[in-house]
Amino acid sequence: MITRRVGRFFDERLGTGAVLRAAFKKIYPDHWSFYLGEFALYCFVLLVVTGVWLTFVYDPSTTGAYPSVLALGRNDPIGYLIRQVHHWSAVVFVAAIIVHMARIFFTAAFRKPREINWIIGILLLVLASLTGFTGYSLPNDALSGTGLRIGMSVALSMPFIGAWASNLVNGGAYPGPLLLPHIYTIHVYFLPVLIALLLSLHMGMLVLQKHTQFARDESVVVGRRFFPDYFLRTIAAFGATVTVVVALAAVIEINPIERFGEYRYWLVPNPATPDWYAGWLDGALRLGPAVEWRIFGHPVPAVFWPGLVLPGIALMVIVAWPWIDARLTRDTAYHDVLVPPSAAPWRVGVGAALLTAGVVLTLAATDDQQALALHVPIAALVTVDRLAFAFGTIAVGLVATVFASNVRARRDRHGAESERVIVLVRNEQGGFEEKPVRSA
Amino acid sequence: MNTTLLATAIVAALASAGAAAARADPAVVGLLAALAFAAITIWAGSAALALRAPDDCTEPRQRPAIAQPGNEPTLTRGGVFGRIWIFAIGAFGLATIVPIVSLGRRARVAVGTVWTAGARVVTEQGRPLRPDDIALGGVTTVFPEGHVGAQDAAALLIRVEDNAMLTNHAWAPRGNVAFSKICTHAGCPVAIYRHADYMLYCPCHQSQFSVLFGARPVAGPATRALPQLKLAIGPDGYLVARGDFSGPVGPDDWNRPA
Repeated sequence: MITRRVGRFFDERLGTGAVLRAAFKKIYPDHWSFYLGEFALYCFVLLVVTGVWLTFVYDPSTTGAYPSVLALGRNDPIGYLIRQVHHWSAVVFVAAIIVHMARIFFTAAFRKPREINWIIGILLLVLASLTGFTGYSLPNDALSGTGLRIGMSVALSMPFIGAWASNLVNGGAYPGPLLLPHIYTIHVYFLPVLIALLLSLHMGMLVLQKHTQFARDESVVVGRRFFPDYFLRTIAAFGATVTVVVALAAVIEINPIERFGEYRYWLVPNPATPDWYAGWLDGALRLGPAVEWRIFGHPVPAVFWPGLVLPGIALMVIVAWPWIDARLTRDTAYHDVLVPPSAAPWRVGVGAALLTAGVVLTLAATDDQQALALHVPIAALVTVDRLAFAFGTIAVGLVATVFASNVRARRDRHGAESERVIVLVRNEQGGFEEKPVRSA
Repeated sequence: MNTTLLATAIVAALASAGAAAARADPAVVGLLAALAFAAITIWAGSAALALRAPDDCTEPRQRPAIAQPGNEPTLTRGGVFGRIWIFAIGAFGLATIVPIVSLGRRARVAVGTVWTAGARVVTEQGRPLRPDDIALGGVTTVFPEGHVGAQDAAALLIRVEDNAMLTNHAWAPRGNVAFSKICTHAGCPVAIYRHADYMLYCPCHQSQFSVLFGARPVAGPATRALPQLKLAIGPDGYLVARGDFSGPVGPDDWNRPA
């Protein structure tokens, strides 16, 4: 066999055989929700592969960018599909990260000793969003160009360093001649390298610390062997990710830049809505109060509060969550066993409230289209959305808390009954042995 | 079953490549490729299930062994490397930041736009405009002559009734009134005008500006009026500017003077 000979070649020189054998024997706990992170990982693989391809056709100059992307039209099936797959993977990538993160949050997988990996995961979400936003801006079409200008306006609202930072990125005042080349470098080099680095750390730490599990025994990892069992499963996860993304790319056209036209700073398509993962920030800008205070004579731009302060606070709360959670539960012990979400109803409430805030802001990013469809004034929708953001989140959080505590009460009742259930297993001698019933 | 699935994957992959080479519709190429990956997915998934491998294999978990301070040589002992290392790192950090600061300073900041007194008002096509070229309720994007597309110079020329303006009536000869097209909120083009209520709308964040009140913001997140371009009728009968905009164009930073 050729694989055997290749394996032997490396084993003789590097001693890889023993390492591989250990890696193949390694046990991974199994649950459907543990594949969510893998979907994100495989989206990143797709992004790198299609992205490298796209660097050979993309022209990062201000005049060349739009035509070079426009050339990847439907009459070039390969170019068209690769751009479609690239954009769709980005959209699914961020979605998979968020769903994966929700799983970590609700099952309390972030507890000691996994706080570091929780923070790396959040950094990965931020970097994925930034990579998405910079990539979305590269075609220099009227929609993404306007989005980039909004981003620049938010950067401009940073206290005192705003103008400097904007100049740095633009190579001058907006829209500088170096803006697209800079965005390009950031998108194809700076951010992906950071993501690859943090992703390696993320997964390295997973191997080192061993995956969490639902099986209740804290002293052992309970699960499946990597090879061949888990190996086949992860191939299936890869295949499923590619199947879904490629099918979406083939059937539903994403970001049809030919409909928006090339970017001119005085032209914008209507309606103007960003990619979904940037929607909450755009919605926040729409709902933000029309106030411009002066602090020591300096104007504080209105976009500062919804554009920088709000996401900053959200990020800090999420980063600090393992420690907030430990304080609330008075629990700083090691945990390798996951809990069902209902185990801590208030955590379900907090998570539900945060998700609701995100959904409300994201929906607010399409308030003009809703107003048109519902025949109501935008101002009324803005008021409703502001109220939903302030109080709806709390209401949803409370309802979710009550719901989760009901689930917990029911679990406790059933749990008490299931304690008495015993599974008998026939052993090799023909006798019967008791086998404990595993939870969840 | 396994052979069928793998054969499907191979055939679909080849068919996809063939369709791409024949410049078929991308939907066909893509769906064939998706079919190939779907076959791989089902093959790997069903193979994994067919293994009937145990899901209760175990391996021990260990907590990290916390190292206790021993007799290893350290740098702090004997004053080789005292508290001063904090300052050393700080100095290195500063030395790294200073060059980065110099990067942004190299760039110039645009002060004002290219509009000057006497500049003729022209359309995107460069056509100069007379006071009656825009019909009542009409709107068009204008630039100073010779500077179509110049940075932040874009203005919206709107035609309202002769005496409709409630502010700075003299800046709007025969109802021709012009404002910066760049939203003071986040820099989007304020692209929509509704004559029924003399309102300008920004399609990005739905700020509304009341034209008759000098493009004062009346709804949405914007806080500052769109700067107005003072217009006059030149000696040759064409619309001209009387100077630059009445205020800074576009979104604010923390350094805009009061």
